[in-house]
Amino acid sequence: MERYAKISKKDFNRWLESLEDHGKLYGPKKKDGRHVFRPIKDVKELDLNYISTILPPKKYYFPQKERLLKFKIKPFKTAKAIRKFEEFVLFGVHTCDIAGIQCMDVVFRQEPLDANYINRKDRMTTVGIECLTPCDKYANCVSMGNHVPKGGYDIMLTDVGNKYIIHINSAKAESILRQRSYIKKCISADRYLLDAVRKKKEKIFKEEFIGRLTELYAVFSKLYDSEIWKDVGKRCVGCGNCTAVCPTCYCFDVLDEVSLNLNDGLRYRLWNSCQMDDFAKVAGGEDFRPGRSARQRHRYYRKFKYPIDKFSRYFCTGCGRCSRTCMAEINLTETVNSLIREHRNVSIGI
Amino acid sequence: MKKSKAKVAFFDFTDCEGCQLQIVNLNTVLLDILEHIEIVNFREAMSEPRDDYDIAVIEGSISTEHDIKRITGIRKQAKVVIALGACATIGGVNAIKNRTPLNISLMRVYKDKADKFKTIAVKPIDQVIKVDYYIHGCPVHPNEVAEVFKCLLLGKKYDVPNYPVCVECKMNENVCLYQKEQNCMGPVTRAGCNSWCVNNGNICYGCRGLIDNPANDAQNDILANYGLDVNEIIDKFTLYTAVEKKYVKEIKE
Ligand code: SF4
Ligand code: SF4
Ligand code: SF4
Repeated sequence: MERYAKISKKDFNRWLESLEDHGKLYGPKKKDGRHVFRPIKDVKELDLNYISTILPPKKYYFPQKERLLKFKIKPFKTAKAIRKFEEFVLFGVHTCDIAGIQCMDVVFRQEPLDANYINRKDRMTTVGIECLTPCDKYANCVSMGNHVPKGGYDIMLTDVGNKYIIHINSAKAESILRQRSYIKKCISADRYLLDAVRKKKEKIFKEEFIGRLTELYAVFSKLYDSEIWKDVGKRCVGCGNCTAVCPTCYCFDVLDEVSLNLNDGLRYRLWNSCQMDDFAKVAGGEDFRPGRSARQRHRYYRKFKYPIDKFSRYFCTGCGRCSRTCMAEINLTETVNSLIREHRNVSIGI
Repeated sequence: MKKSKAKVAFFDFTDCEGCQLQIVNLNTVLLDILEHIEIVNFREAMSEPRDDYDIAVIEGSISTEHDIKRITGIRKQAKVVIALGACATIGGVNAIKNRTPLNISLMRVYKDKADKFKTIAVKPIDQVIKVDYYIHGCPVHPNEVAEVFKCLLLGKKYDVPNYPVCVECKMNENVCLYQKEQNCMGPVTRAGCNSWCVNNGNICYGCRGLIDNPANDAQNDILANYGLDVNEIIDKFTLYTAVEKKYVKEIKE
């Protein structure tokens, strides 16, 4: 198959309905004035015109609470908690969230491999949707370079008016496109339309940070002890929303639950995060990262410094969720820009 | 030979008895628990109480000298004490009384008969006796009740979450009330209810008490930012947590 195809908008729902054979369909749906990824039972519920969902799609490949192990106490026995993982199609994912999937992949595919993650992820077909206008004042996707498709998906859709251009990026993609007469080859005029859309985007998507990523790395290398962290820590209420909604936060706690027969149990993992009071506490009560300033700083360093050293990758996708969800109005773009400003001032001796 | 079952008694002090009702509402889960325990005293569900208990489940707060005597006696006999519900664990709604001097509270409620009622400032039960297990909430959540009984029967500690309700609320993917121009005590309230109220369209009132290390200043700033004045903020903070006086003081200053 060619790398590009197209589908007319009038045939779009037909295609969606045909995806049933490829597993459960999940996509963005309205909830209370916001959007959330949910199972799509009726294709009319799908709403592709949305600002990032409350939780990123990570809940499908790294669920909030996930079974890891079954056990019996007497006689002691353990077994896999999940026998069979299901095929599913994750539909309508923004490019920033696809960058989030790529980050998670880097983490969970390190040795030792995370079997649950890989089992889920390998059964997922990702269909992206390209954003044509910036979300809102919270996103910083342009500075992170994630407002345009850069791989990591099976299919990317770009709306070019009365049709979508389909970028085919994997063998899986071909299997959900083939044998559908309404999916047509692209002609050169279609490629021209796609180029025009991208050109137009260049004009309306503006960088959110006042400096480039290379400068940012230097900034984070120098400003560990900046007063800015104190200010952020003072305003932070420690609710943990910013880490829960972040597509690249992957920390979890492990807990056991026993049923009422007091013999059969399940071991789970449950999302946890560096913003929690007990997160860095160890036996004996010692806390390695006390205080909200240190914890907030740690969150930023886990996006803009440590993963660059470890994985050569920024772990902020620019989705803007952390800033959008923060009731204390701690804004990532503002924090980063004040750091850049402070760094520039220090460098010229102000 | 079958192991003899642990004998459990329920007692109530100053409260509405709603938490005991939640125990009855456990339905089939209660029957499963009853495989392991025997209830010997439960006013809401049985008529012939006995006094040979090992485990005391105590609902309600302490608000008279007589309460202190009675609960100390219960502690002497019980090997394990479970505090059931907000009144027992943190003082509950009735601790609002502590926000005004005792004699004024008495006058307000009992008028000219005020001197006939010998009451004291409201206390959660752990200010009088040692508590082994806490089941927070107003009312308690059935799942947590079952969880605590399991821990008790397995002889292990129950770890009450020390993170805020927001954590559960976000895992449930609720739209944050602050984004709907409402306010909420979730950021400083101890989780464990699975953000029960917010899931059902309500705000979090803080019935499970404050987390160990709440960010009171930041929470005040947020509430103030959403248009609440000092008194409204104090009302928010002390609907359930008036016992934790220092917070009220902090806000006033
Ligand atoms: S969402 Fe805001 S208040 Fe909550 S932990 Fe994050 S930075 Fe702090
Ligand atoms: S740090 Fe904030 S903007 Fe960056 S990926 Fe996480 S939630 Fe999105
Ligand atoms: S609605 Fe309340 S509990 Fe939920 S995230 Fe917002 S402040 Fe926290």
